[in-house]
Amino acid sequence: MAAKKLRRARLSQELCERLSRHQIITCQDFLCLSLLELMKVTGQSYHDVQKLLCKVSRACAPKMQTAYEMKLRKSVNPSSAFLSTTLHSLDKVLHGGVPCGSLTEITSPPGCGKTQFCIMVSVLATLPVSMGGLDGAVIYIDTESAFSAERLIEIAGNRFPTYFDSDEKLYCMTRSVHLYRELTCDSVLKRIMSLEEEIISKKVKLIIIDSVASVVRKEFDTQLQGNLAERSNFLARGASVLKYLAEEFSIPVILTNQITTSLSNGLVIQADLVSPADDLSLSEGASGSGKRESGCVTAALGNTWSHSVNTRLILQYHDLPTRQLLVAKSPVAPFSAFFYTIEKSGLVLQDGKDQTNLTLEGMNPALQTIRVRNTALKDTLLDAALPSTTGLLYCWSESRGGPRS
Amino acid sequence: MQRDLGSLPLAPALRARLVAAGFQTVQELLETGPCGLSKEIGISKEEALEALQVVRQECHGDAARTAGGSGATRKCTALELLEEEQAQGFIITFCSALDNILGGGVQLTKITEICGAPGVGKTQLCMQLAVDVQIPECFGGVAGEAVFIDTEGSFMVDRVVDIATACVQHCQLIAEAHQEEDNLKALETFSLESILSHIYYFRCRDYTELLAQVYLLPDFLSEHSKVRLVVVDGIAFPFRHDFEDLSLRTRLLNGLAQQLIIVANDHKSASHGFRDVQPPAVTQNAEGTEMNPRKRPRREEEK
Repeated sequence: MAAKKLRRARLSQELCERLSRHQIITCQDFLCLSLLELMKVTGQSYHDVQKLLCKVSRACAPKMQTAYEMKLRKSVNPSSAFLSTTLHSLDKVLHGGVPCGSLTEITSPPGCGKTQFCIMVSVLATLPVSMGGLDGAVIYIDTESAFSAERLIEIAGNRFPTYFDSDEKLYCMTRSVHLYRELTCDSVLKRIMSLEEEIISKKVKLIIIDSVASVVRKEFDTQLQGNLAERSNFLARGASVLKYLAEEFSIPVILTNQITTSLSNGLVIQADLVSPADDLSLSEGASGSGKRESGCVTAALGNTWSHSVNTRLILQYHDLPTRQLLVAKSPVAPFSAFFYTIEKSGLVLQDGKDQTNLTLEGMNPALQTIRVRNTALKDTLLDAALPSTTGLLYCWSESRGGPRS
Repeated sequence: MQRDLGSLPLAPALRARLVAAGFQTVQELLETGPCGLSKEIGISKEEALEALQVVRQECHGDAARTAGGSGATRKCTALELLEEEQAQGFIITFCSALDNILGGGVQLTKITEICGAPGVGKTQLCMQLAVDVQIPECFGGVAGEAVFIDTEGSFMVDRVVDIATACVQHCQLIAEAHQEEDNLKALETFSLESILSHIYYFRCRDYTELLAQVYLLPDFLSEHSKVRLVVVDGIAFPFRHDFEDLSLRTRLLNGLAQQLIIVANDHKSASHGFRDVQPPAVTQNAEGTEMNPRKRPRREEEK
């Protein structure tokens, strides 16, 4: 809309030519000028310029709809408003599931199940509408090379054994998942911008980007000058294109994020570059009261990104093998927590477990502390008191192909 | 009548010609008449007539202003202003603590800014106010309609349905407790459908659309005269990225603020601009973070 040329805004030909001599070609250029500048540039009187402004604004302004019309549209097609995750309690809290038309982010420490969740949701999106799916293709942009097609088939076969009863159906499903491996920020952005045509031609109903944080953190070192602004620029641009796609086609977009450690004295370090031994001391500092430097583990990519996503789900460790899923930010759901485990059929919620002892740090989803693996193991292993042991276990958790044994 | 020509809202080219021909004051211009003017400057008779009409309008405006009357001026005593302020309604939220702090509720004809960390509830409050502005007068509301300008895309109709249903129920409880005629009659029109149909929603994807929409607001409000609340959810969002020219950004934001002030005063509505801001990380209380929205630097405390 912003790049709409003034010609298409029904301004007269000579006026457009005159304006282009001053480098004012699009509606955006026109609306950025003040009234006096417009008078100078168009050579018209004050009242005429105001009328012109209204004309150009009408060409750019969004269409009005009442909330009632929006509700009617949704109720006519209820299944298209959400993608059910088949995690029953989560769907109930989210009023149906992952919302279509907005960005949902999954954050967790490494090895908690982000990629598993993404693979599971890809299967769900290809299911027919009668089973709660969206009956469409999936675009999966993989920046970590973590996607495993075998796991995809395993989840599909175990979660819906009656539907995927033949190999034929499984292969049909895998044909609808389009995988793109992008390894740089630039290529990710180019890919996102080119998605519009693909969504229409392939009838895509779900976009997954796994993960945004890894490619951004590889390229932008926030300690260097200028990188911070560039990074937020890239993130904001990506977010706005994704939001546009999500709303235009009414599809859900799922992104994954990593964690970072924020120290209270303002220093920030990337959690995955810190060795496990240091991590332990940081988390000790958080629980101890006398230390000056206490750190907390939170979602990465900063505040601008936290504002851009509409829903944020946090996965964290609890007692092995149970993990916890928090709904940290959502326009429709309150702050809630669920326990789950990762099985052959993907994620499985543990209903009925005690959920009342969740610490309500719903103050700021960007600062929501996330429990890292080491904290969970700390108590049981501190007796052994061997840093090398925790180091070994830390590496071991990074297997992608199935449940933890 | 000794007003200088340069202060008139004429087209620059015309003004240049008048100055070149030697005209200096309005009096000279009015004496010449359209035919004489067109001959002297070399413009058509119609253009000359138009120019003179503009000039006459300005002068009438001047005269009215110096005579001290007419509604074009905003001159009034503080007493009149006080009476006006006390008579105008507030948008109540049914949270007595919040209404008390705000002195009765969200004020009309003023701009209220709400800023906070992501996820803290700004959009929720927006949606609640869009419903609460429609509360009928017998329950203490202003019985108006709402315009919702969304730049972030976090407006969820289902959530508004929840809030509206709860509001209607609350009013029904009040009506049952007090059993007055007006209350029951008002409740007939105060239903979920009517609440939703009176929230006018605009989705602006970038700052150009936001600017365009705000320029068109006065016309929209004169067509929908019952609107009492304009919410802009995320005034900071479209300006936070892709702006190399920070002075342009400041100018556009100031322009937007002024437009909204004009809208608020002329149409007796409340304007709400929402900002996402990161307050200083450790402090829980907001005092001391007195941020002048126009001079706030772009604080990027990214992690």
